Amino acid sequence: MAGGGDPAVELAGVGFDYAAGGEPIRALDGISLAVPRGATVAFVGPSGCGKSTLLKLAAGLIMPVRGDVRVNGAAVTRPLSNVGMAFQNPVLLPWRSVLGNLLLPLEILREHGDPRAGDRAQWEGRARTLLATVGLAGAERRQPRELSGGMRQRVSLCRALIHEPQLLLLDEPFAALDAFTREEMWELHQQLRQQREFTGVLVTHDLREAVCLAQTIYVMAANPGRVVHAHPVPLPFPRTVAQTYEPAAVELIATMREQIRRVARGAA
Amino acid sequence: MLPRRVLLPLLAFALLLAVWEAAVVAFGVQQIVLPRPSAIAETMVGTAGPIAFHARHTLVTTLIGFGAAVGLGVLLGFAIGASAVAHDALYPLLVGFNSVPKAAMVPLLVMWFGIGTVPAVLTAFLLAFFPVAVNVALGLATLEAELRDVLRVLGASRWQIFRKVGVPRTLPLFFASLKVAAASAFVGSVIAETVAANAGIGYLMAVAASDFNTRLAFGGLFVLAAMGVLLYGIFAAVERRMTAWAYAE
Repeated sequence: MAGGGDPAVELAGVGFDYAAGGEPIRALDGISLAVPRGATVAFVGPSGCGKSTLLKLAAGLIMPVRGDVRVNGAAVTRPLSNVGMAFQNPVLLPWRSVLGNLLLPLEILREHGDPRAGDRAQWEGRARTLLATVGLAGAERRQPRELSGGMRQRVSLCRALIHEPQLLLLDEPFAALDAFTREEMWELHQQLRQQREFTGVLVTHDLREAVCLAQTIYVMAANPGRVVHAHPVPLPFPRTVAQTYEPAAVELIATMREQIRRVARGAA
Repeated sequence: MLPRRVLLPLLAFALLLAVWEAAVVAFGVQQIVLPRPSAIAETMVGTAGPIAFHARHTLVTTLIGFGAAVGLGVLLGFAIGASAVAHDALYPLLVGFNSVPKAAMVPLLVMWFGIGTVPAVLTAFLLAFFPVAVNVALGLATLEAELRDVLRVLGASRWQIFRKVGVPRTLPLFFASLKVAAASAFVGSVIAETVAANAGIGYLMAVAASDFNTRLAFGGLFVLAAMGVLLYGIFAAVERRMTAWAYAE
């Protein structure tokens, strides 16, 4: 299902520095990889290895200091406009209903005269369908404060997907959820992937999550942030949570845990 | 039947007045020092005409100063909140100016504008301006980075982010600042009226005090309290209506 054709996201020798008191600190260095169209890749690694910075580079929110970022073959020079993002914090707008939150991307696109904007009725239909997919049918008029953490995160995911982005960037999106809800979200992610064509980049601390969702997992090290290992995940799609307990998955998780422990101690 | 949140404070106030009345009688306090509430009420009824005239004057003065403060406060708050340069340059100044006791400005204002309504309006303005500007700036400056990123990857411009997110999320702070600003504007106009005016409750109280008319001075105080509570109540109600989402959690 994934692979073939041009890669959706290409990083070639990408590096990024933070200026900290005059002295630039190397946040990322020498990152070269390609994400095939329609695939989801995951980045795991110790805190401070630049995982989130990598995500921002892919979205064009920041520009690389070294190297090139290309999305769909074109060099990224400013924030992309066909990306969906979701974070650990769902950052819904508390003054808008669930539907109002889902229509926010539409309002932004329409003001730019973007052809994807379509009309409102069409978007409302799309919002209803998406909400039904994530198990929130009929929640359109509810306020974010009335929802549980898991429900808010679903709405946040819907908002990231409603404009049918080609690229979905997830920064520890399920980290604040309880274990049971988190696993539900993994299966939901599989389901959404089957229905929609999007390329995914996931940043996570949860190795089982990475194994469940990603085609390839990159293990990163810090100082400077770099990719030290790449693991193709030997499980077919769509995956279930149960598959993450199969021997191949368990072994991969153990391997990555050991690798992260080693890079965290400073010996990559 | 009045709701509990109105009834209970009214009962507490009535109890306070009763204790006050009883204490003055029991300890034989001189009326010129502390009059009985009933005597104050009597004086208020007797001087209802002049009190109403001065109360209206104070109210108009306060509202003009308050209105100007809200208008300019919002403008400056927007400027500071929308631009990082304006924020870094102006926010410290704002905090600095705000720490100047505004009452100390009254002699200057009198020197420039003479005795009358203008110094009172300007003092009300000065006291009400800062809370509005600071709150609006604060609301705009504290936008979550994640939310900004979500919108930017949709191609949203700064102006769109400001309009769709910055302004709505600043509203609760803005309305909260209106309550504070209304009360501050009252303080400002009355301070100026007590020292440099020919009308207003502040002027009335100053004259009453110089005549040792304690009852009338207290009467003025009650009228001020009533007007302050009224304005606060209006803006609190507006706030609840406009930004219910900010209070539900």
